[in-house]
Amino acid sequence: MSYLDLTIKEIHEALVAKKVTPLELVKQALERAKANTDNAFEIILDQEALAHASALVEPEIDNLLWGIPYVAKDNFSTKDIPTTGGSNILNGYVPLFDATVINLLKQKNAILIGKTTLDELAMGGTGKSGHKGKTFNPYDKTKQRMIGGSSSGSAAAVSAGIVPFSLGSDTGDSVRKPASYAGLVGVKPTWGRISRYGLFPFAPSLDHVGFFTRSAYDAAIVLASLAQSDPNDATCSQTAPENYMQSIGQSLAGKRIAIIEEIVKSKHRPEVIKAFDALVEQLKNDGAIVTIVKFRRDLLEAIFPIYITISCAEATSNAANLDGIKFGPPTWGATYEDAMRQARTAGFSELIKRRFVIGSYALLRENQDVLFLRAQKGRRLIVEQLNNIYQDHDLILAPSAPSIAPKFEDKTDQLSDEYLIADNHLVLGNFGGFPGITLPLGMLNDMPFGIHVMGRPFEEGLVLAAAQSIEKHTGLRNIIAPGEVNS
Amino acid sequence: MNFEAVIGLEIHVEMNTKSKMFSAAPVTFGAPPNSATLPIDLAHPGTMPTLNKQAVINAIRVCSALHMDIDHQLWFDRKNYFYSDLPKGYQITQNERPIGKNGYLFVNGEFGPRRINITRLHLEEDTAMQHHFYDYTLLDYNRAGIPLIEIVSEPEIKTGKEAADYVDKIRSIVTFTDISTGKMEEGSLRCDVNISLRPIGATKFGTKVEIKNINSINNVAKAVDYEIARQTEVLLSGKNVIQETRRYDDALKETVSMRLKTDSVDYKYFTEPNLIPVKLTEAFVADAIATCPELAEAKYARYISQLGLGEYDASLLIASKETCQYFDELVTLGAPAKIASNWLNGEISGYLNKNQISIELFPINASRMAQLLKLIDNGTISNKQGRDLFARMFESQQDPAQLASQLGMTQISDEGALLEVVTAVLNENAQSIADYKAGKDRALGFLVGQVMKRTMGKANPGLASQLVKQELEKR
Repeated sequence: MSYLDLTIKEIHEALVAKKVTPLELVKQALERAKANTDNAFEIILDQEALAHASALVEPEIDNLLWGIPYVAKDNFSTKDIPTTGGSNILNGYVPLFDATVINLLKQKNAILIGKTTLDELAMGGTGKSGHKGKTFNPYDKTKQRMIGGSSSGSAAAVSAGIVPFSLGSDTGDSVRKPASYAGLVGVKPTWGRISRYGLFPFAPSLDHVGFFTRSAYDAAIVLASLAQSDPNDATCSQTAPENYMQSIGQSLAGKRIAIIEEIVKSKHRPEVIKAFDALVEQLKNDGAIVTIVKFRRDLLEAIFPIYITISCAEATSNAANLDGIKFGPPTWGATYEDAMRQARTAGFSELIKRRFVIGSYALLRENQDVLFLRAQKGRRLIVEQLNNIYQDHDLILAPSAPSIAPKFEDKTDQLSDEYLIADNHLVLGNFGGFPGITLPLGMLNDMPFGIHVMGRPFEEGLVLAAAQSIEKHTGLRNIIAPGEVNS
Repeated sequence: MNFEAVIGLEIHVEMNTKSKMFSAAPVTFGAPPNSATLPIDLAHPGTMPTLNKQAVINAIRVCSALHMDIDHQLWFDRKNYFYSDLPKGYQITQNERPIGKNGYLFVNGEFGPRRINITRLHLEEDTAMQHHFYDYTLLDYNRAGIPLIEIVSEPEIKTGKEAADYVDKIRSIVTFTDISTGKMEEGSLRCDVNISLRPIGATKFGTKVEIKNINSINNVAKAVDYEIARQTEVLLSGKNVIQETRRYDDALKETVSMRLKTDSVDYKYFTEPNLIPVKLTEAFVADAIATCPELAEAKYARYISQLGLGEYDASLLIASKETCQYFDELVTLGAPAKIASNWLNGEISGYLNKNQISIELFPINASRMAQLLKLIDNGTISNKQGRDLFARMFESQQDPAQLASQLGMTQISDEGALLEVVTAVLNENAQSIADYKAGKDRALGFLVGQVMKRTMGKANPGLASQLVKQELEKR
């Protein structure tokens, strides 16, 4: 048994009792990181982590993150530590500043032991488009199944028991989907709840800082450490955060839960629906009032095209700073256009270039009305419908994915019901900035599948409480991929 | 065939705020290259814009001075294009909703005062400065992110003189409000001229040429006049004006082609997602306007109505904010407005011209200058002595009053003492008295001159003249 196999709360108790030291934890985490074969790491921070851990002597009783090792997706700016965003165009780039969340965790004395793999610039959902190749799902020893993305390495590291929590980012479902595939609690709070300063942008209107833990309670701990206003992020809320440690304890009795019929009736594995229905019954027994609600089907089917249009449009603009002139691998050309073209041709993968072309096309003067602005309109209509639901309901519940993690070789029909709705509805939370959490719902063929609970803006406390209730019913708390624990 | 010019101006004003438009880096001029930068100014990944409040206040003030409608919600857009001086690959600007719309100002030109409508005023950020060399270019990011306001006129200007006056009016507003140094030669105020010709009476616009790189207000007029002549010649010779960007070459005194211009640039504008629209309360806008430093127009009116200056003198003073500042100080220190104005527009202005410096570098401070003017005003010294004293004040830091007494520069204003001298002079100049009586006015001047000579110039000339006349009548 290793203390690393425990939750943050339990590790904290052991640290306070001096049963284990931060240095011992970090050494073990580094060992596990190096032994891991899922391709979870861009960089392992041996020296920095050991130095940080060695400096921590007297445990801080009130600080639950003191001495806790963690990893961050490699799209968070870390001062003096190379950060690539999973893209060759940033190979060798060493940031000049820490992202706000990195800084906050540093102040808490949580210990960063590595930066993790991701789909290139967080633009993907498979965990195979990063410049370091595929990241594998720790639950599948045959390495055929994906962990999903784009926060692939951060999910793998927590799922494999290397660290008890990790930072990710979620623009479509980039934290919540991998969490669903890896048996984790994946949190995407309200847009503006956690500062995005220092997060390499994909599509700012949809981007969120998120994180992975292995229990709902741990999620409350991490959220409580990260949720605050930030003068460096003008979109970060000035509203004081709730007391998550307290609100997570509230009962669901009398809470009104909506289930969107078109989502649960879209194509899922029957085992998923069976587990979902069983859980709903248990929540009803807890006193929750569960209602099936309707949603415009055409709007649900438009989620993916709307998402692609808006996210690619914003992305093409956000990534325009990556031109080889100011940082990253230097390029030379006869003219500035020449230098930029060379840097960007060599620096981006084909997939990313395709997305830039799509985004650029959607923004062209002659196309804006029918593509970009139309997508914005669709987004508004969807958010309006969701707001209508939230007038009478506190939470919206849904299976987080059609099934367990797919295989890399699986072909998806992008126009199928399964793909358009069942596989994409988590994006609803990004359209409206609603807080959402995925957590394990059940196991199928030794692979986890998940459930998603989404609340009103800035009501993370209730979403956490729902997650904790669900966790009690499923018993799937603090699960680690078998065989990964090399204690 | 006779043509008329259709001219519209786009003016960029670089603000002198403490920090940049969306960055906490300082706004500096002349600092070592790339010393006034933060990661955001080089568009490092993960940096985010934060809005400069003072820049917004400044924009509101200029909008108000230009009688514009002020949008009470601030929206920003991204203007996307790749260029070596543009770190992010986009500029944050206001495309859809500029902070100011529908304003105007009056220009004075060949057609008398004429209203020129102003389409829009918006906030944006500057690009990096490029230094081009033979086979390489250096980039200075100190300028990247400095707040700009862009002011776009309707194409209603007709002549070079009107165009220059329009720019001068804008320069006056931004300097009097302390928003900018407003120096075209340093690039803190830049003017792009759009100009086309059409036959008089035609409604359709001709082909438009843009002129950039104009480095002074005088050259605005010269560039426009040159371009009108050039385009007229092109059209009269039966050719077409080419749509292009030209620059004004100060040495050649000509506009020179830079590049062809097409309408095809698509900046793919969209709303900046990292800045939530900011609501400007009525109180905020009202306060920005109420606390705005006094504009030239208001000073002009005040100088005439409250200080009793003539229109010409007042107009000379308001040509420069610094001159007004100096003048206001003199008046506050007790110097009479009329004398202060005469000296500023006369002696001081002469000194500045001779030495090719501006009033900020004038070595005599307002306090000492006010003392000098008061000595003249209360008759302690004469105007002529005042001029001598003024010349000495550049070498000595002593009080003007002390200096005057050391130099023996006291004026005889005592009537009794002066009357003795006058009587003596008259007694010695019987012929002049006779001449005066015979109607020769010149004799009066001669006699006063004798009084001045005998007092070694110390007699109060007004009093001397009055006493001579008075005594002559008695004889």
